[in-house]
Amino acid sequence: MRESNELYFLGVDIGSAFSKAAVLAGGELISYHIIPSGGNYKLTADEVVTGALAKADLSLADIACTVATGYGGSNVSFAHRLITDISCQSRGVFHLFPSVRTVVDIGGQFSRVIKLDDRGRAKAFLMSEKCAGGSGRFLQIIAHVLQIDLKEIGPLSLKSKNKINFNTGCAVFSETEALSRIAEGAATEDILAGVHRALAAKIQNLVERLGIEQDVALTGGGAKDIGLVRSIEDTLKVNTLVPEEPQIVAALGAALIAEDTKNRP
Amino acid sequence: MYFAGVDIGSRMTKVVIMNEAILASFVASTGPEQRKLAHKVMEEALAQAGLSFDDITYVVATGYGRINVPFADKQITEISCHARGIGYLLPTARTVIDVGGQDCKAIKVKKGRPVDFVMNDKCAAGTGRFLELMAEGLGVKLEDMGRLSLAAKSKVMISNTCTVFAEQEAVAKLSEGASVEDLLAGIHEAIATRIYSMASRLKIEKDVAITGGGAKNIGLVRALEAKLGYPVLIPPEPLLTGAVGAALLGKDAAQQAMKSGLPLVKSERRLQEAKFFA
Repeated sequence: MRESNELYFLGVDIGSAFSKAAVLAGGELISYHIIPSGGNYKLTADEVVTGALAKADLSLADIACTVATGYGGSNVSFAHRLITDISCQSRGVFHLFPSVRTVVDIGGQFSRVIKLDDRGRAKAFLMSEKCAGGSGRFLQIIAHVLQIDLKEIGPLSLKSKNKINFNTGCAVFSETEALSRIAEGAATEDILAGVHRALAAKIQNLVERLGIEQDVALTGGGAKDIGLVRSIEDTLKVNTLVPEEPQIVAALGAALIAEDTKNRP
Repeated sequence: MYFAGVDIGSRMTKVVIMNEAILASFVASTGPEQRKLAHKVMEEALAQAGLSFDDITYVVATGYGRINVPFADKQITEISCHARGIGYLLPTARTVIDVGGQDCKAIKVKKGRPVDFVMNDKCAAGTGRFLELMAEGLGVKLEDMGRLSLAAKSKVMISNTCTVFAEQEAVAKLSEGASVEDLLAGIHEAIATRIYSMASRLKIEKDVAITGGGAKNIGLVRALEAKLGYPVLIPPEPLLTGAVGAALLGKDAAQQAMKSGLPLVKSERRLQEAKFFA
């Protein structure tokens, strides 16, 4: 059991593809949980929070303040505050890497670039939400046609010696193109490396519209793909910082904001 | 004299054999493994026409896979072939909207020649692929979706442009209780809006013809007519427009050669599989 006088804070991020919950005590992360979002966000919110609390041996009654965020954040009925995912993402990144000025967040349905000031506040941001070609969804689609696990994509793609050049950045057309290339005998790793480059090009476009400032951090599920990380680094010609668990940054930020809220006089 | 047009589209391969009229035609899907098989499709069309390949005076290949037709005498862009084809099939048409499997184009036509064109082959929204995936997502057959959409009681609008996201949205709305017909009406509205806005970058002039596989979808045709405000023309076999144009451009080339006395440059009359790909 934890000390009874300790204050706990909860951040819940209901994303379009995955939901995450993070529990904080004394400014430090003590547990987190990630589950697919599914169709019912209310149930998802309950499930992901229960999972994170169980890992910390806590119940919802122990939480001093809960902040919800993300696409489905309004479904977290027990949250004290609902904060935009831009603010939560920024807060989370600033906590992990105070030197970061540009955040590239690669989510399940969109990518986003956020510029931070020296106090970790979002100055500007741009989203690519209109096209699956700029999101993690593109990787899922290609992984599906190649019949490989999403986790294998990164390491496998690094073996590529001959990147395939995709004609368009469209996820649908690239799926067909990938099938044609397989029929012609192209190697899986070369197709994957090509997808990474296509996705990196979309992200580069977004970053350049906003202007890049170092350091650069990569977050979201996409940052778990080492092939994509390398491809973005090559394209942007910078080194990047990637959190140990890039998917929970917004949930962590939400929990930090919950703590800030409580500590405010 | 006989002429052949081979149109290797992104999704369908079409072959037409003509003399004064269309003698034979054959359509097969352009799957990944069939990309090598233009010669097989040609053989089918020849068998139908009761001709041997040596009987063909000139072969023109067009479409996105035109480079993969090693037995063609000439490759001509689909824009030129489409314009020539529509000039023959529907001489009053001034604007052609071709809704293909993986692209969509609008062409201004004058006397069988292209005057101007716009196209989208970069994004699946506004192409036949959008319709295919929507049909798949809603569990209806591609060939039934147009007809079904006409039975809609109201349109369920689709807000996402991206095909991937729009399919997801349609499936979610279906599970929330929207009817398939109403969703299909919204889907046709969405694709018609996309195509119309692209075509409007040209000055759309009457008559407007719709070609390509999209022209076989009555729901899309009606939705486009609603945008234009007047009826459109559709060739009897809308898929064959480019191949017909290719055969006719071959005929033009042969007649030009005869008139000028210059020899007609031909490839070897041997049907074989393509060994190179673009």
